[in-house]
Amino acid sequence: MPAPCFRFLLPLLAVTFLQAKDVKIDGTFGSEIQPLLEQYCIKCHGGEKVKGDVDFTTIATKQDVAANFELWELVADVLAFEEMPPEEAKKRPSNAESQQIQNWYQKQFIESVQARPGNLQPRRLSAPEYRNTLRSLFGFDLEVSIIKAEQTVVERSLALKLLPTDPPGASGYVNDTHSAPLTTVTWELYAYLADRALQKLFSFQQPDALEIFVGEPLPPAFRAADLTPDQARSLIRNFAPRALRRPVTETTLAPALNALKDLNGQTLLDATKNELKALLVSPGFIYRGLLFEGEPDKQQAVDSYELAERLSYFLWEDMPDETLSKSAASGDLEDPQKLVAEIDRMLASPKSRTLSESFAHQWFGLADIDDAASDATNREALRSQAVDFLNYLFTEDRPVIELIDSKTAFTNYITASFYPKDRAQLIKYNKPKGIERQLVPNQRITIEHATERGGLLTIPGILAMNRGPVLRGTWMLRKILGERLRDPPANVPAIEAKTPDADLTFRERFDQHRSDSTCARCHDRIDPLGFAMQHYDNSGAYKLSPSYKAPIKKKEHDDDLESLDTSGQLPSGETFKNFEELKSILLSAKRGDIIRNAVEQVLAYALCRKLEPHDRPTVDQIAQTIDETNGTWRDLFIEVSESLPFQETYVSAPSSSLSSTQPKVALLFPKQSHR
Amino acid sequence: MKQRWKIDRRTFLRGTAGALLPLPFLNLMEGKTRNAFGGLSSPDNGPLRFVTLFKPNGVHPPSWNINGGTEFDFRMSPLMAPFSKHKDDLLILDNMGDFGFSSHANSTRRFLSGHHQNKDSASVDQVIANKIGEDTAHRSLELTTEGLFTGQFGCSYISYDKDGGAIPRESDPQLVFDRLFRNPMSDPNQRRSMTSLLDRVSDDAKALNRNAGREDRQTLDQYLTVVRETERRIENMEQSGSNPRIDFSTLQRPEASANLNEQVESMIDLMALALWTDSTRCITYMLGNSNSRMIFDFLGITEQHHYLSHFFRNFSRTNLDSLLKISLWHMEKFDYLLTKLKSYKEGSGTLLDNSVVLFGSGMGHSDNHTAQRIPIILAGQAKGRVKTGRYIRYSENQELSSLHLSLLKTFGVDTDSYSASDSPLPGLDGGYFPEFRERPFESWVTQEAGTITAQGRLRMSDNLDEAKVFYIDITGQESVRIEVVFRDFHDFNLPYHVGTPITLTGNGSSNGSQLLITKVTELKSLFGKSKPGTQNG
Repeated sequence: MPAPCFRFLLPLLAVTFLQAKDVKIDGTFGSEIQPLLEQYCIKCHGGEKVKGDVDFTTIATKQDVAANFELWELVADVLAFEEMPPEEAKKRPSNAESQQIQNWYQKQFIESVQARPGNLQPRRLSAPEYRNTLRSLFGFDLEVSIIKAEQTVVERSLALKLLPTDPPGASGYVNDTHSAPLTTVTWELYAYLADRALQKLFSFQQPDALEIFVGEPLPPAFRAADLTPDQARSLIRNFAPRALRRPVTETTLAPALNALKDLNGQTLLDATKNELKALLVSPGFIYRGLLFEGEPDKQQAVDSYELAERLSYFLWEDMPDETLSKSAASGDLEDPQKLVAEIDRMLASPKSRTLSESFAHQWFGLADIDDAASDATNREALRSQAVDFLNYLFTEDRPVIELIDSKTAFTNYITASFYPKDRAQLIKYNKPKGIERQLVPNQRITIEHATERGGLLTIPGILAMNRGPVLRGTWMLRKILGERLRDPPANVPAIEAKTPDADLTFRERFDQHRSDSTCARCHDRIDPLGFAMQHYDNSGAYKLSPSYKAPIKKKEHDDDLESLDTSGQLPSGETFKNFEELKSILLSAKRGDIIRNAVEQVLAYALCRKLEPHDRPTVDQIAQTIDETNGTWRDLFIEVSESLPFQETYVSAPSSSLSSTQPKVALLFPKQSHR
Repeated sequence: MKQRWKIDRRTFLRGTAGALLPLPFLNLMEGKTRNAFGGLSSPDNGPLRFVTLFKPNGVHPPSWNINGGTEFDFRMSPLMAPFSKHKDDLLILDNMGDFGFSSHANSTRRFLSGHHQNKDSASVDQVIANKIGEDTAHRSLELTTEGLFTGQFGCSYISYDKDGGAIPRESDPQLVFDRLFRNPMSDPNQRRSMTSLLDRVSDDAKALNRNAGREDRQTLDQYLTVVRETERRIENMEQSGSNPRIDFSTLQRPEASANLNEQVESMIDLMALALWTDSTRCITYMLGNSNSRMIFDFLGITEQHHYLSHFFRNFSRTNLDSLLKISLWHMEKFDYLLTKLKSYKEGSGTLLDNSVVLFGSGMGHSDNHTAQRIPIILAGQAKGRVKTGRYIRYSENQELSSLHLSLLKTFGVDTDSYSASDSPLPGLDGGYFPEFRERPFESWVTQEAGTITAQGRLRMSDNLDEAKVFYIDITGQESVRIEVVFRDFHDFNLPYHVGTPITLTGNGSSNGSQLLITKVTELKSLFGKSKPGTQNG
């Protein structure tokens, strides 16, 4: 069957959590849409012939229309990408007709959707969340014994070294662990790490930690086996609510306390350790959101402990600290002013650095900076520039749009050459004797001369991890503008590096490539953005800088400076001559898109799940507020924390048997998916 | 104290293939029951073992090399002092390696793979492990002290798998201990406590489950499935009966180490314990990456090791003293390992008697990266297969691959070639080897209008204050002093020719009776290669 339908990857399709009750279907389906389907689609998708398991003839009532929302999403998608009907079809809808169906989808299934929170979905702590939680609970870290020498990569955290790396979930973030279920290996590792932490707790390298849990000072010569029954009980009583992140009832504690009855000395110690270990491998510790007991089958505000946990894992990737737990206990978090004060306190804490080191690191794919330099010290120097800049935006109340343009940068002696004149602001680095290379902290500088550097897009590490116009353009579209791009067809080769007999410049060969309409669908969007950055070489250096030194070995994509054409036109019509002008467009015409994408990313990270159609009103409202008020990242974090999906949840009704529920994966057209 | 354990290894542990598993508590059980011991060992005397200790960053040759002496009559060098008490258990090999220069990465690969281009087969330790380690719980252990050097990742590995892929190393003694002795597979006590923990948590989870919503139930269902699966695996272990006669729970877990010295000594303790309990028979341990940037602060040194190792370029007497301190520390750890292995009695001898320990580096001269006269020492007699108490100086430079081929034969691997070599290094077993013999040559010197030509044996100055100075010895005359810049030192590869007769021409002057060459223009080797390769081999 030669039909080249669904040429692109189907898995890109959203698996929506939309429910039929979220939408209100009007009568336009019968009068406007059905006739078009009959005219162009039914021949292959209905009656006798049912290709790809899509049969439009089975849809009759409004209920049918509503229940098939996933099908309509697919329809809108294939129309937008002109994938259906196939090119060889005799009859294809006009642009207006195609648009009509897309508009109908937009109105019925996107715009009419009411905001509601997601279902309460317990989720396993991600590896970094687990590491941080264990550290905060005990007050010490479990470290690997390994010598940290300069220019080497080590994993110091025992938890991160041992636990399997969590893949990013559907949201793109690793805290979305829904698709990374618990395995026996992970469970065994939890048990092992719990053992190690408890060993350390009772080893008296850590008398302070134990005293906190026991609740009284321990005598100087105290040995673990001296633990009295009273101390053991109070240890369990104090430990359990900290570990489970909420108050614990006597009923819950009873089995643990009973297990200690009539024991003393070593047997008491062993039993106490066992009880603590059981807590640390219990579902209540390793999952988030599991112990919140809501009312079944009802949308409701989460309780203040669940809210505190949401806040702390969002802003800190960590469990609530004592202050936050107290605010939860006192009900302070329900007071909007006190909630804001709490968020400000949390942003001021060093723990909020996880927003840049984890959240933004994942958002912008900063792990790819590993490809930008082989030397570990240089890598970290490049990466820290982006992380420090983002940390500055997030924690110093900077406007969201400063992501694109800012006068502030962070650099050290390793990256200073990218700021030839501004580097004078740096305190001179004097290399200590006998140290060949050394990572030192960045200093903040104000960009006065190197104006080609302001903002995230032209931070050297970002440019160096995305080499060439296609990677740079794609990155900007996906990460900054938040556009969806399909993966390229598998059979298209990359544009060749310069061939000796080609008279065409690199760019001209791209234009040639774009003359194919299949390629043009995406490359009309990608190429202008990417080519605008051609004045930055593969190392991220600015070719127009007077101090620029071309690399000795010429790399592909390196046309001569004179023949470089950085001008372009966006599909929306704006034209520009170079990146500076493109940046102005980003700051004006594209400002709304950029802010909206930032809102979506922050919200998805905060909720630990992919955004759904019913989150759209929330995103709209926050994006509008930030845009109109030139809101800051702090404002954005507050807006998200106050938003409906963050504050509320829906608790589904209990199901009758344990294994009756199916995973919510809609496998559309399994026979048709080409991969 | 350890002698009271009488181990019946037959019922001890059974095999799994593979190196260290992630944390193989419950992953160890896949292999079928085997009778321990291959053909090479008998239960009474213990099996054969192979241990490697890698010293990073080459040596300062004048402090390391043995000058003069014969097979049975030799004096150990100053750097060998820390382990000279083991002289009877050592086979010191000289004239190993033959590359003019070698990168850190290449020399590291060569250390156990024979040649740096041997990139798609296993390193020699892994081939040996396949032969002798099949019946043990851990086929081999790969250990190190520091992280991954990303600039040239070959600097961080000596052990490679059958496809030439680098094998991950472990640095943490506590983690290694737990893998060996605290996994439920090898310790019935661990199984018991795991079972009671599983009972406990499944009760708790079931209690939670009573009033859970749909999504909560899914989560708990998943959790309970994992718990049940783990229970099942523990039961399987009980049934397939791995009940070692030694109670591993009596073994002391090492304390957390405060510095490199403690970390390494803990690890060496564990290595001996792992061999003694027959948990593994093959271990490689890197004291550092080749080109290690470690700072030996616990020795009072503030400079990076790699910087100091370039003792010509970065010469100062204090730098050299620091470098030698670090090298002596490496030698002390070799001593520590040997002493430890001897402390375990096995059959009528010791653990060391049933082992071969390969100690050495990937390069000789640490500033010039000359991969010739590489420090290589074998310790232990491998049940009489290796004859120790000797110093072998070969007549010609020997490829490391021929040593590896010999080791393979020592361990009973049936092969005629390894890496670049198809002839084994002779003499390890006490048989014939082509011994270095002095060949007669004339020494002389001429001086003409600022040009000096000298023929004689080249040597580095023994005076540590003169680490950049070389001499050519002339019979009946004062030696000609060579004091040149790094470029000449490197381009003419003076370190390669040290100890051999050469004809060297250069510009210089005389100061009384002392002739001094300050610029080299030509160098010819009388019997060897004048240019031993300028590639980064």
